[in-house]
Amino acid sequence: MSKRAVQEVTFLILTALAGGSQHGYGIITDVEEISQRRVRLGAGTLYAALDRLREDGLIEVDREEIVDSRLRRYYRLTNDGSERLAEEAARLRANAQVAIARLKSNPTDGVATA
Amino acid sequence: MTESTDLERRYRRLLAFYPKPFRREREQEVLSVLMEGARAGQRWPRRAEATDLLKHAMAMMFGRPTSHELRHPTPWVLLRVVVGLWLLILTVFLCHIGQWWALALLAPAVLQFYLGYRVAIVVDRERQVGGPPSPPSPA
Repeated sequence: MSKRAVQEVTFLILTALAGGSQHGYGIITDVEEISQRRVRLGAGTLYAALDRLREDGLIEVDREEIVDSRLRRYYRLTNDGSERLAEEAARLRANAQVAIARLKSNPTDGVATA
Repeated sequence: MTESTDLERRYRRLLAFYPKPFRREREQEVLSVLMEGARAGQRWPRRAEATDLLKHAMAMMFGRPTSHELRHPTPWVLLRVVVGLWLLILTVFLCHIGQWWALALLAPAVLQFYLGYRVAIVVDRERQVGGPPSPPSPA
């Protein structure tokens, strides 16, 4: 797999699973919380992303439960998934630090002063 | 409980657009996610939900664009648009001379537009790096 930057949705899903295994609806509500209500995943988007992540070996099925006669499948990060998320988080942090440092060193030019 | 079965039936109808292997493995699971996300008394899928499901169902049904399409997106998108437009013009012409069966040509025309659009969005998505930037926070 290439080391291209992961999409934000993928990043958020991996982050949701970093705290432990979760089922589909749990991931949706968690992603909403992590993104401060900015991202609400549709079921179609969620399952397209989960399928891709599973194919790439970044997540796997943890267990299945039946709650109120409904199937819940729990997913968890694989070791590769944790590594990939850590790399991606470090990359984003490095970018953000440069951005913040430059804005601070040049405050009159930026829009940040607005 | 009748509301939830109405809603469930409607969700199932949307999921029917997905390819069979996906449904066999995932339908129950996706359905429970959809039902968990439903408000009390909700009887119809929300529009955003429906378009999201349909969009991904189509993407799955027609597979991903081929690697050739992704390496040369511009000529492929152009080709799809030109073929789609040509089919549209043909349809209008044939209907004009009374050949109403030509309305059936609208289906391949829409398919061509869709296939072009799909290449465009995949290319666009792969160019995008890490999603939209978040606004700078006040120090």
